[in-house]
Amino acid sequence: MAVVTIEDLTYYYPGTEKPALENINLVIPEGQFVLVVGASGSGKSSLIRAVAGLIPDFFGGTCGGSILLDNIELRRLDRRSLVQKVGTVFQDPEAQMVMTSVEQEIAFGLENLGLPPSLMQRRMMEVSSALSLSKSWHRFVPELSGGEKQKVALASVLAMQPEILLLDEPTSQLDPVAGEEILTTLRRLNEETGMTVILSEQRLERCFHLADRILVMEEGHIVWDHCVSQPMTELTSRAGNSFLPPVARLFASAGCLEVPLTVKQGRRLLKSYNCASVFPAPATVHPQKKPAAVQTSCSQDLLDIQDLWFTYPQATEALRGVNLRIQPAEFVVLMGENGAGKTTLLKNINGLLRPSRGQVRILGRNTRKVPVEELAATVGYLSQYPGDYLFLPTVEKEIAFTLHNLGLRDDGIGQQLLTRLNLTGCVTRNPRDLSSGERQRVALASVLAARPKLLLLDEPTRGLDYRLKEELGNILLELKAEGTAILMVTHDVEFAAEYADDIVLMANGSIIGRGSKYEMLTGSTFYSPQVSKLFNNIVPGVVTLDQAREVLTHLTGFGKNRALVMLR
Amino acid sequence: MLVYRQKDNLIHRLHPLTTVAFVGVIFFLSLLFSHPFFLLGLFVALGAVILASDSYREWKGYLKCTLGMMALLMLINACVAQAGSTVLMAGPRVPGLGNVRITLEELAFGAGMGLRLLVIVSVFCLYTHALHPDKVLKLLSRWGSRSVLAVTLATRLFPLMIEDFHRVTDVQRCRGVKFATGKFQERVHNLGPVASVLLLSSLERSWQLAESMYARGYGSGPRTCYTSELWRPRDHLVILALLVAMVIAVGAAWHGWSAYNYYPRLASVSRDELKTAAAFTFFLSVPAILNRGWKKWPWLQSRI
Repeated sequence: MAVVTIEDLTYYYPGTEKPALENINLVIPEGQFVLVVGASGSGKSSLIRAVAGLIPDFFGGTCGGSILLDNIELRRLDRRSLVQKVGTVFQDPEAQMVMTSVEQEIAFGLENLGLPPSLMQRRMMEVSSALSLSKSWHRFVPELSGGEKQKVALASVLAMQPEILLLDEPTSQLDPVAGEEILTTLRRLNEETGMTVILSEQRLERCFHLADRILVMEEGHIVWDHCVSQPMTELTSRAGNSFLPPVARLFASAGCLEVPLTVKQGRRLLKSYNCASVFPAPATVHPQKKPAAVQTSCSQDLLDIQDLWFTYPQATEALRGVNLRIQPAEFVVLMGENGAGKTTLLKNINGLLRPSRGQVRILGRNTRKVPVEELAATVGYLSQYPGDYLFLPTVEKEIAFTLHNLGLRDDGIGQQLLTRLNLTGCVTRNPRDLSSGERQRVALASVLAARPKLLLLDEPTRGLDYRLKEELGNILLELKAEGTAILMVTHDVEFAAEYADDIVLMANGSIIGRGSKYEMLTGSTFYSPQVSKLFNNIVPGVVTLDQAREVLTHLTGFGKNRALVMLR
Repeated sequence: MLVYRQKDNLIHRLHPLTTVAFVGVIFFLSLLFSHPFFLLGLFVALGAVILASDSYREWKGYLKCTLGMMALLMLINACVAQAGSTVLMAGPRVPGLGNVRITLEELAFGAGMGLRLLVIVSVFCLYTHALHPDKVLKLLSRWGSRSVLAVTLATRLFPLMIEDFHRVTDVQRCRGVKFATGKFQERVHNLGPVASVLLLSSLERSWQLAESMYARGYGSGPRTCYTSELWRPRDHLVILALLVAMVIAVGAAWHGWSAYNYYPRLASVSRDELKTAAAFTFFLSVPAILNRGWKKWPWLQSRI
């Protein structure tokens, strides 16, 4: 197994004046599980690419310093030897598949290494068994789910038997269940084979506890290098809380001396505070009231779905008797497993699909015969791929495009949106050159330009870091305060817990439950945020971080008081 | 999307080289022979193999379409050719065509050419539904790995682009772009944004794909070729049968039986020609016969 040594590494992408990596010095011993965290654009991917030898060989640009694998400089290794030492799995499973069948995809890397067929077969058999892919060997790649594709990508790399495995946000495009499976597999590989794993990830609540070491990156620098043996408080005091998983962030922000990484550790810590078994619910447990102005003017339902059924032409019954009402200034989150019918429901609301039976009414009007283009002025739709919106050369033209199509005049809305969405600095830039968070805000601006009364969002937090999610959440709350109703499909329980009013749960094309987030997101094993799990059976109704902080401050104060009493 | 589906029969379990050889032989012979009895023999043998591969449902679609074309071919030939001596119907004078005269020979020639078309379309159907495209590409990759990789990537990315197209169209409709209404020019113009997004997304994806290929060592030196396909006795038997059929076909062509004189009067068919056509059909039907035995007798499955 190889030791990675990075000395004074500085790197500039071609045509840029700001370094993507600056003065990086790092030694990673063999067998370590390293988690690289930081905001989008902080240099995580660049660091991974540097260790993979893709920088500067594939990307070009200017590079200073050196990277050594077992004291041999990376540049001196020929590419064939390098790819046998370092394997890389990328973010988007769709964009890294070359072949059309699983078997051929796994073989692709081995063929590139020029291995004899007998050895290829042995390695493929081993890796397929390890990742439970044997039954999928003959499947057509486009027919696999996102999680299965990422598993195949991982298998293809593992078959090359690298000593170091690099992963650049491998779960960012996957649903939580598939993401969890990939991360668990990585930990197992690390434990069982001693393989060095360097993982860059945004889904911190799922992987923080897996790592032996955490590197915090900011603007191309490693601002903190944390080993799990060190106390977490040292990490939070030096690098801040924003990249921590919710449980750790809660304890850190409440000023606790001990910061847990998992719910299990957190609950153990809570028990140590000697809290009473029954604790009053926090004051903020009741849903926020709607703004008065909105309440008085909107007695009518904005969206009223009655007994909606939808069947696809292939006879797949995707929606079964759905009833749903949404009023202005409501923020409703739609949750459920893949294939539950969430996206189909959104498409029936915005007219992209027409109900097979039942009806969808928007502001009292049956939408059955209303064209999508006409509905677009009332119902805004943001898909999970912001890139699908962006094709014009500047940000302001993207916003103007929607206004022009809908025959609306720019009465200053364009400028308002640019300011509100913090896009004033990139008005004349090409949207495709922007960061992922900025791209999403441009797509959102192009939707909001029509001033929709109902905003539909499909997995908007996918691939966003904590900071960007917070920004998006605040924008949505502002829109809600102005009276816009929001219906969002997401798997992100933490986001739903922080920002939504109501949660709707779907399964097999039907709504199986609707209620306030305080009711729906507590007492559940999987559809609960980390803080709810933390306080489960200790304090009822804790859903948001603010509530949890309030309770924890109370508890720790209580615990300290008891301790003082005992000392006396 | 990929139309091929793996099915549980001997045809789907042949070595891809065997299936390619079968398809190639049938295609070659359909061009070599214009004799209707030999073409009919090809059609019967091919039909039996398609049925053996459980692809009747798919074949039905091809048949409907081709039989329609065959009828059209016969009609056009009968109206235009003005040859043959057995007049079936003498019609009125049509401007540009003269006196319409339909003869038995014209209809027979149209039917013969239609039969050839039917064989070619059916062989294409068998190739599409009984042979995994990846396996064919894998066979060819030994000789032209780069061009084969380009074809594989196109096969892989085509469904992805279709999916992208639907998604982007939906998104742009939600921004008020009209694709279904307005003048033709307006509708074409409105497809501009979709084409732009598709092009930009494809460029981004191709960059990511290249990065992934580079990281897995593509282009780092000579490649080897992985194949898990095994050569079995069934492949020997089918290839042997194809060889015999080819020998018969060459013999028939040597005797001048590959061609047939439709005009001025339908030529008579000798008993030897019929016997040869029957033998030729039998040997080309060997995959279907083996499949029957393979399904009926489990012991045969383990033997071949």
